[in-house]
Amino acid sequence: MKHLIPEFDALRARFPATFASSLVLPCVRRIQEDRGFVADSDIDELAGYLGVPRVQIEEVLSYYTMFRRKPIGRWHLQMCRNISCSMRGSERLLAHLETSLGIAAGQTTADGRFTLSTVECLGSCGTAPVLVVNETYHENMDTARIDALLKGLD
Amino acid sequence: MPEIFINGQAVQADDNQTVMQAALAHGFFIPYFCWHPHLSVHGNCRICTVEVEGDGGGWLDIACNMPVAKGMRILTDSDKVRARRKQTMQFITLNHPVDCGICDKAGECTLQDYHVAYNGSPSTSRDPKVQSTKFFPLSQRIILDNERCILCTRCVRFTREVSKSNALGVRNRGDHSLIRPTEDRSFDADEYSDNVIDLCPVGALLSRRFHYKARVWYLKPTPSVCPGCERGCSIDLWHRRPEWKLSALDARQNNRIDRVTPRENPAVNGPWMCNKGRDLAATFERARADQPLLKGRPVDSTAAIANARQLIGDARHPVALVSSWGSNEELASFKQALGGRFECFVKADVAAAPGETLADAILIRPDKNPNTAGARALFGAAPPRFAADTDLVLVWGEGTNFGDLPPRAKVIFLNAWLQPENGHADVFFPISVQTERAGHYTNFEGVESAFAPCFAKADTVADAEALFAALAVGPESGA
Repeated sequence: MKHLIPEFDALRARFPATFASSLVLPCVRRIQEDRGFVADSDIDELAGYLGVPRVQIEEVLSYYTMFRRKPIGRWHLQMCRNISCSMRGSERLLAHLETSLGIAAGQTTADGRFTLSTVECLGSCGTAPVLVVNETYHENMDTARIDALLKGLD
Repeated sequence: MPEIFINGQAVQADDNQTVMQAALAHGFFIPYFCWHPHLSVHGNCRICTVEVEGDGGGWLDIACNMPVAKGMRILTDSDKVRARRKQTMQFITLNHPVDCGICDKAGECTLQDYHVAYNGSPSTSRDPKVQSTKFFPLSQRIILDNERCILCTRCVRFTREVSKSNALGVRNRGDHSLIRPTEDRSFDADEYSDNVIDLCPVGALLSRRFHYKARVWYLKPTPSVCPGCERGCSIDLWHRRPEWKLSALDARQNNRIDRVTPRENPAVNGPWMCNKGRDLAATFERARADQPLLKGRPVDSTAAIANARQLIGDARHPVALVSSWGSNEELASFKQALGGRFECFVKADVAAAPGETLADAILIRPDKNPNTAGARALFGAAPPRFAADTDLVLVWGEGTNFGDLPPRAKVIFLNAWLQPENGHADVFFPISVQTERAGHYTNFEGVESAFAPCFAKADTVADAEALFAALAVGPESGA
């Protein structure tokens, strides 16, 4: 986390002095973006940097389900299972992904390449079903496009 | 001083008060779970909802977080308020297991009281209750039942605002939320942790020591003073009500300190006390001495008193080590009866245990005796020392190494506990303890607090106050 401190300092300058606990959320977001997850050592270092009790950072991390405390695969596949995508077949696509990768939703492949998650609405109902791979949206998905997509991921 | 109206009655509120504070200060009760007079306002339980009369029929709002305003008209018990409270109680008990029959809190539970007062109906939910963790070890001393928890967060705020350990937090979200200790488990190090058991408005936080030990309606609180340090916190000692005396089970249960809770005293401890005080039973339930002895030989108290009077009468230079656990009444009795005969020093009966916290910024103080201030006011602060011609030492209370006494001096010893030194004294008197008599202690700030007896003393045990009067030997009566 240490190399992010200049960024955090800049962020801190924009907050009133007594609002250190409000910085927890942007800081842990940045840490996860940087490392891929939030390590225990990050929590300790951030608590020390911000001067907030460790428990407040733990609360934020557990409140928001998008924060991860453990590393995940190189490619994070997030299949939407909300209404529009479900009506357009995302449940079938999720089953296809699980069979192709040999893991259930929420798991990571043994080689550490893929982590498969289900998520709620991604705000792209017009192009349902949607699969997000890391930060990239893949729209109007079907089994053939999924197979082609997986082939292109190392 | 804005004037507001509560249930039509004019009330003078303070500028910075909330409606809750103004109402309670003037004798209007508004129910509350998450609000606490000594913690910050959280406003999550919604049970303190009141009606504010205004244009368009008024509105409902929570009293704990509503500042008073001039001319405000509050209704605490209107039809709207009663209907809202009933709905709120339905929500709060939505996932509550209603296992009062096996809950330690039953009988003193806010949730139970409010359910009877404001709801009274069975759950209207057809969904199964959310299952959660039972018996979660929050620390070595406290167990958490997450199904009973209503997430008021009083305990969390206590660790942030009062004990400053920051050891508790709320994990997860919505009905998955759990009170949990921080991952470094620092709640074990919080020396005020047991206060969260009293703060808990439901039966979620439970004392391991008190778990399944007694139903609270069989118990009675006796006002007392914690002897754990010179702070002298006001406490309640809970013990079995005499009218519910057990005759079939172990009779010791009738004379047991079941639990210790703080009794609010703004001049000394506020509403809190430390964990050491919660464990006072261990101090008071040590084996007791109940037999007067002459050099280890049992005698009746008349013989012991006669012998002691003889020793006191014969002595040329008697020295007394006065107990810092004696009450002000006992100390005054000693001063009056024997103070002129003895050279008196105040001794520390108890020293801090290894590893014990000596002092902190909240309540804990370095001197681990309750009445050093009261004793020093009568006998001075000089440390004990023995002149070469000392030929009699009266030791009152525990904690003296007899090896440190002048080797040729006779020893009169007064002690409540069964300890090896008792048999080494020339005359030994068993004396009563704090839980068997009334009295006062003066704390380090000069505040005097009273304690009352909870149990009867054994017949063979003497009250020091009466004993000193019996031992009084005038200069003219010397043998």
